[in-house]
Amino acid sequence: MLKTEGQNWIRNLRIRWISLNLISTLVTALAISLVITTIGSHLMLLPYWLFAILFPIILCTLLLNKPVWKTTDRDVSRYVNHQYPELEESADLLLQNEADLSMLQKLQRHKIENIIPNLSKPKEPFKKLYMGLAVLALALIISFGFSKIHLIKNINAADPAIKPITPVIKEHIPPEIADFTATITPPAYTGKTGRKQKQFTISAETGAQINWKIETNIGIKKLKLIFNDKEMVLLKPANTAHTLWNHSKTITKSGFYQLELDGKKSDLYQIEVIPDLPVNIKITQPKQHTTIDIGQPQKFNLNVSLTDDYGVHDAFISATMASGKGEGVSFTEKKLSFNTSFDNRKNLSLHKLIDLKSLGMKPGDELYFFIKAMDNHGQSSRSDVYFVSIVDTTELMSLAGMTNGVNLVPEYFRSERQIIIDTEKLLKEQSALPVTTFKTRSNDLGIDQKLLRLRYGQFLGEENENEIGGDHDDHDEHAAHKGEGEKFGDVTAIMDKYAHKHDIAEDATFFEPEMKAQLKAVLTEMWNAELRLRTYKPQEALPYEYKALRLLKDLQQKSRAYVAKTTVKTAALKPEKRLSGELDKIMQPVQKLTFEQKEKRIANLKTALALLESRKTGKNFAEKDRYLLSETEKYMIGAAADNPNTYLNALSSLRKLATGNKLIVKDIDLVEKAIVNMINVEGAKPQTQGAGTASALYQNYFNNLIKVNR
Amino acid sequence: MEFIYIAIIAGLLLLAFLLYKELRRTNKARITWRILASIIAVGCFVLLIVPIKYETNVQQNADEIILLTAGTNPDSVAKLKEKKYTLPFVDLKKVKATTINDLSYFLKSNPTIHKLKIYGYGLNATELKNLKGYQIGFHASAKPTGIIAANWLTRLKSSETLIVQGTYQNMGNETVKLLLKGFGKAVDSITIGAKTNKSFSFKTSPKHIGNAVYELIALHKKDTLSKEPVPVQVGDQEPMKVLILASFPDFEYKFLKNWLYENHYPLAFRSQISKNKYASDFLNMDSLNLNQINTSSLKKFDMLIIDEDELAALNSNERASIDIMVKNGMGLLIRVASTKPSTPLSALFARYESPVLKGKTLNLMLTENRFKFNPLPLEQTLFLKTNQNDLPLITDATGKTLVNSNIKGYGKVLISTVSSTYNWLLSGKKTDYATYWSKLLANAARKKNDSQSVNILPQFPAVHQKTRIIADLAASEKLPILKIDQVKLSPRQNMELPFQWDAFYWPQKTGWVDLQVNQNIEPLYIYRKTDWQALKNQQMLNDTQQFVKNSANVNNKSQVNNVVIEEEISIWWFFAGFLISAAFLWYESRILAT
Repeated sequence: MLKTEGQNWIRNLRIRWISLNLISTLVTALAISLVITTIGSHLMLLPYWLFAILFPIILCTLLLNKPVWKTTDRDVSRYVNHQYPELEESADLLLQNEADLSMLQKLQRHKIENIIPNLSKPKEPFKKLYMGLAVLALALIISFGFSKIHLIKNINAADPAIKPITPVIKEHIPPEIADFTATITPPAYTGKTGRKQKQFTISAETGAQINWKIETNIGIKKLKLIFNDKEMVLLKPANTAHTLWNHSKTITKSGFYQLELDGKKSDLYQIEVIPDLPVNIKITQPKQHTTIDIGQPQKFNLNVSLTDDYGVHDAFISATMASGKGEGVSFTEKKLSFNTSFDNRKNLSLHKLIDLKSLGMKPGDELYFFIKAMDNHGQSSRSDVYFVSIVDTTELMSLAGMTNGVNLVPEYFRSERQIIIDTEKLLKEQSALPVTTFKTRSNDLGIDQKLLRLRYGQFLGEENENEIGGDHDDHDEHAAHKGEGEKFGDVTAIMDKYAHKHDIAEDATFFEPEMKAQLKAVLTEMWNAELRLRTYKPQEALPYEYKALRLLKDLQQKSRAYVAKTTVKTAALKPEKRLSGELDKIMQPVQKLTFEQKEKRIANLKTALALLESRKTGKNFAEKDRYLLSETEKYMIGAAADNPNTYLNALSSLRKLATGNKLIVKDIDLVEKAIVNMINVEGAKPQTQGAGTASALYQNYFNNLIKVNR
Repeated sequence: MEFIYIAIIAGLLLLAFLLYKELRRTNKARITWRILASIIAVGCFVLLIVPIKYETNVQQNADEIILLTAGTNPDSVAKLKEKKYTLPFVDLKKVKATTINDLSYFLKSNPTIHKLKIYGYGLNATELKNLKGYQIGFHASAKPTGIIAANWLTRLKSSETLIVQGTYQNMGNETVKLLLKGFGKAVDSITIGAKTNKSFSFKTSPKHIGNAVYELIALHKKDTLSKEPVPVQVGDQEPMKVLILASFPDFEYKFLKNWLYENHYPLAFRSQISKNKYASDFLNMDSLNLNQINTSSLKKFDMLIIDEDELAALNSNERASIDIMVKNGMGLLIRVASTKPSTPLSALFARYESPVLKGKTLNLMLTENRFKFNPLPLEQTLFLKTNQNDLPLITDATGKTLVNSNIKGYGKVLISTVSSTYNWLLSGKKTDYATYWSKLLANAARKKNDSQSVNILPQFPAVHQKTRIIADLAASEKLPILKIDQVKLSPRQNMELPFQWDAFYWPQKTGWVDLQVNQNIEPLYIYRKTDWQALKNQQMLNDTQQFVKNSANVNNKSQVNNVVIEEEISIWWFFAGFLISAAFLWYESRILAT
């Protein structure tokens, strides 16, 4: 029976409907299972193949829930009737046998058969498909987001405090061992709780207690723990079946150990000790050398930050004051506390204002201090020593330094001192003076200061303002001299006329560069003082004046050489008696020594390297080589006990080499690398150079050449 | 041969059986076709096993042959119709060529040949020697990729540095990493860009004593391109004997004495107490009388360290004996502190004073490799003038000489103005101190004459290849004993140099072998044939090119001759025939018959 066009159309529609629906269901199932798998794998750490199980289950559920494939042609026609009014509710007619139809029905059928091909296909199934795809996209985003969240969490987890201490290392465990746990109980000061691990490689804090609990699957007569290949511990069985064993040990040093089950030795497992570091002290304020000038408050702020890996227990300042000078120096020591509780915190930042006056310090005294801190394990550490000194002004004012020795520029120093005295006098009289007088006097002092500064500027060869009492006023002077009448024939005068002379070159190099720098610093201080004086603030000017004076004093001290008087008088030499003593009783000492090499370690290790190289080429070890290998093993055990991380693998490779007959280049490489590490860097040694063979012919040739030259 | 006959007989038997079966067959349709097909099938099958050869005539120059050597590119010679020849051990893929076992013999037996066309990397120097007078056309292959030059000292003394130098030729399009590996660890490396030639210089201080093999490995990412062995032998040596004569004991002497003592050097130290009164130390050696210096006492030492004051204080006899001993090879190091030379020996070197800024440290430098020492807290003002004949050893950072050296007879005289190197030891710079004094002492001390020296030709003696061993002996009168791994060799004396002997050897195994010359046994490394292939190829390429360049352009008229060449018919034809006839038989019986 040939189907009519209308029937075909409906059938096509049905197939489309079903297939699109199926795809949409498939996509939805995919989306749901994807989300569930992601959540499951990231939150509950389930395996990824969960997806393979989930997906069919969800798909089946969805399909059974809505059996799309059961859609019949009649359903489609009903839907079409509903959707397209053009069909006038007659789509059913298309499905019925034409012969069974009445005339009217036939007519109607004929009519809609013409309409049907022109109808647009319904959008409904596509909508469903789009919906499904949207769900899938959403699911993809969600699962992607989940995996990211997990990563962020991982970053947080990378924090050392949270990270598990023992990294996962693949270990070879003897087959007799059914189960084991190592319980690590860190010492109290760490404040950490104990942890359990199913791994023989141990990394624990210094002084931690480790408890091994080993369960064997068969009864074992003897179970030994061998530490660092020296210390042997025979374990006692905890039950009569000889399958349960226990051992506890406190570890203080890195090393390695192995198990021995009835004489059968296991691999080597390393013990790493995490040491407790002392408190780290960092002083951010004040600077290492601080000078408190006159006028500045005689106190300073102390800022310290303390860090420790487990907690700071205590910290204090140890201060030493030195007062007096010369032979009369006296020291007083004091312990200053920070007045805070430490509470075993890991990070602390402490502040303290130290008042020097309350410590009893006078001008000229010096304070040395350092900070001592203790962590909760009892380890103490201390900072560098810091210096704070108060400048003594009376010392500066004294003339003691002037009276002896060379004095290059004495009058200028007196001037600076004079200015200070005048400033202090002005300040004392300030209350009694009218404001204008005060200001004029202050200004006058400022002018004095300026003159002084200019004088010192001369030393530095400063160009401008080098004449006291007035400016250079540019170089019009050359013109002014015209009237004086010309000296004919005076070459220098003529040269002067055209030359632009500023100062003499030697002046500029009068001082050493270091001195010059200090002189410049003096000038800066003077500048500052002058500024304050001219703006009528003599009180503020005073510290600068003092500082200028102090620097000048230093300069003065530097340019002085001091030779003390001596009163020793030696007897005159008698030249005829010199070097004529009797020498027969003078012994001629002879010393004879031979350096004994106590340690043959380096030499043995070096030979062992060559031995391993020859093993690489396939040669087996001879009997005498075995001795060398065992020596090397001894050295390596020592090295591995100190640094199990670096040498443990090499040690087990070396044992494998010594016992096995199989040539494994990788093992040899590992051992060689370790031995090269063990041999420290050697310095060069003088080596005799070779000169080829000493044939008689060459010798004759050389001798004849010499003869010819003569 | 026999196999071929067996195959033919078997084929005939099979054919007979098939024909019998055909004739007995009930269905007689297409019987002729079937019989024909059977014959073809069996015939082709047999011919698959037995190759068919025929001879053709090719136009070829009678006086010219084509010689294919290693590295010949098969594509470049594929078009050549002429008969090709090759040498034994040359691995040519796909190219058929006649092997010449001995080239010179072949050429002698074919005197008409005047011209050779050489393809590939060419021939080595010894083979080329036999080709003098022949006209040679050289069609060189592309340059090889790999290490084309390499050198290092195979015998080192302990604490010496191993320096491996050479050139890598990278013809490829990728960058290559070249590294020196020793004792399971890469010690030095370099990257070589694509299509470049780069020279390399690797440095390492070997830690072993005895024999070891380093490796030069060329890597491209993870692929190993080549792996060349670098055998190194490190040995200990008899330490030099040092004599120190001091006018007064100072820290410089004290530290030097202790350092030499702790390093097991035999050392005698004499310092003056008073007139003709001396304190003497004999470290790591037997005591002897040092109150008078003479040639017999100096003979026991390789090196004399003395300050100028002490040298001046010696009497003329003693000074003369020092002079004689220096001329005979003893090393002399004179420490000077003043600008005026006070003895003729120390006057060999002129000095000058140069003012230095206060507080400046002394930065010393080795002139040889521009190695810079850590600064010494010294204000050095005394420097040395250098002569044309002098060899400065130590200079400061600005190039002013502090330690100078000159040759005197067999020996060497060193002069030093550096007064206190012990500051290095005090500040923990032990290596600087050791480097400084090692350099000075090694440079000056009496050179040790080897009783023999051995040269090996070629540079990389390989297994199953002719190796020439040349031994220089101190004594020429006696026939030396040359042995390699207990195999006695027969040495041959050099015609001009009576002390030189050589012998030939064909190594039997790779790795270290013992080479015995008289009583002395030295290890010798025998390479694998494939080691340093690029280097060898490059050498052959260069040699052949040079040879072609040098050989005169002999142009003989070439005559064209017919040369018979044997060709083989491809077996694919027979296979096709077999397949078609067998297919027909099958088709006929299965489909046409039903």
